[in-house]
Amino acid sequence: MSSIIEITDFSWRYINSEVHAVQNINLKIEEGKFVGVIGQNGAGKTSLAYAMDGLIPGQYHGIKKGLVKVDGIEVEAYHKGVLQKIVGMVFSDPEAQFTAMTVEDELVFGMENLGMSIPEIKERLDWVCDLTDMTPLLAKPPYEISGGQKQRVALAAVLAMTPRVLILDEPTSMLDPFSRKRVFDVLGKLKREQKMTVIVIEHSLENLIPLADEMILMSEGKLVLHEETHTFFQEMDFLLANGVYPPETPLFFHYLKKKGHYNGPIPVTNEEALAQLKCKGRN
Amino acid sequence: MNKTLLGYVPEHSPIYVIHPFVKLFFMLIVSLFPILIYAPEWNAFIMFVIILLMWFSRVNMKTLKIYIPVAISMGSIILLSYTVLGGTHPEYELLGRFIGIKFYWERIRDAIVVYFRILPMIFTMVFFLSTSRERDVIVAMRFIKVPFVVTYVFAMSLRSAGLVLEDFFIIRQAEQARGFDSTGKPLWYKIRKYIMYMIPLFALSLRRAEEFTNALVARGYAFTGEAAKVKRPDYVLTHYSYKVLDTTLTVAIALIFVTILVLRFGFGYFTLDTSVFIAWLSQVL
Repeated sequence: MSSIIEITDFSWRYINSEVHAVQNINLKIEEGKFVGVIGQNGAGKTSLAYAMDGLIPGQYHGIKKGLVKVDGIEVEAYHKGVLQKIVGMVFSDPEAQFTAMTVEDELVFGMENLGMSIPEIKERLDWVCDLTDMTPLLAKPPYEISGGQKQRVALAAVLAMTPRVLILDEPTSMLDPFSRKRVFDVLGKLKREQKMTVIVIEHSLENLIPLADEMILMSEGKLVLHEETHTFFQEMDFLLANGVYPPETPLFFHYLKKKGHYNGPIPVTNEEALAQLKCKGRN
Repeated sequence: MNKTLLGYVPEHSPIYVIHPFVKLFFMLIVSLFPILIYAPEWNAFIMFVIILLMWFSRVNMKTLKIYIPVAISMGSIILLSYTVLGGTHPEYELLGRFIGIKFYWERIRDAIVVYFRILPMIFTMVFFLSTSRERDVIVAMRFIKVPFVVTYVFAMSLRSAGLVLEDFFIIRQAEQARGFDSTGKPLWYKIRKYIMYMIPLFALSLRRAEEFTNALVARGYAFTGEAAKVKRPDYVLTHYSYKVLDTTLTVAIALIFVTILVLRFGFGYFTLDTSVFIAWLSQVL
């Protein structure tokens, strides 16, 4: 499969900052993959995401080194507004992303910017409303709905533009557990039904892990681990040392393994754990 | 109920039959009527018609009560400005003196005339804001091909007012939680300490501006370059059709305006000399 995102020796330092926000990043993300990005606050996750969407260096002052290519072209070489047809971005604060007076206007805003025809907008609006269960909210002002609904509106607004790459920067950081699950339900649908590349920066690992094909760990501006999800969570000591607190299930199996009660691979979801336990029981 | 800029209107109000542009046109043109009309009885008639329209549109009439103190304050200020602070005018007809202040008939008359010319303008604006949502204003502007940037800036201004207020309350609560509370303190203290709210509010506004910009860029909007040249379809306009009724109402409003113009400047109607009310008041005073 071809790489939709290819980052080579990328470093970025914000102007007036002594340290690099991200440093020597080398990364390839294949088209259609669901990638989770984790790391402590200040690890450089958001800067990396902004670099992939062209917000860095487009909207920020700083010093850039290396290359960030999307679909084979360096992000800086894209004309304004063209990269956004390929890469969609959902930010952590849903309120700050709204640009229109009703949910419907919000959903069509991006499509209007892309110059789509009215029938095409209508078709995509219907599709995205079905996908995100947005129809009852269409007439409401986006700032009068609940936090979870706001984030789904923000997600739907970007999805409606049908980008090939969808980047979500801590999309559930301001949401309650139920609303978080609803956002991830939508992402799950996307993974099953669309061939979109999804990159999610997230602290809520219990929702992220079941969907992620690959995981990336950032620490102090560096990409310190990038593996397929199962392999990623076998490196439990390394993750813990870098401030990652995995969900209870893999953590428990890691504990069992350390104490010598278990020697198989660490399961990452409850379903896998159950299967492992059943298998162990039979043996 | 549907939230409007100044309240709520039931979901099944007859006002929704009318295209938003007609409402905007009504507001812009009818606001001009009092500029042409001096006779207070005619301006009172405009107010009466607007109240009838509000009732017909099923605007919650109880909300009008909140404007009574405003109307009284405004009337008092105008009256004081024209009489107590009106100065000495030997050429005017003196009605009497009170604690050294001279009260002239012309000044009282002018105060009443001005008051009755301002009120219909306010009534027209209240009617428009009570029956229009933000979206209606945007639709009306886009319908007459106002550039997208202008309508967008207008919409963002409406929205940012709410956001700034929200941020202000958050800052105030955060400062109260840390022991800073100006409630019950003297006004001078409040004014001096207001900076404590303003600095974080300013910083937050800058952050909001950055976030808005990022959101716009992420949604493919650009003020310059190739993306800015893309012809934007106006999806929102597809929900509204300009019907025969709308054309009829627009023409009717325009015709009334022209009629008033002709009557005022061609035949001398609506002037103070022809005012029945002013003639009656002159006799009373």
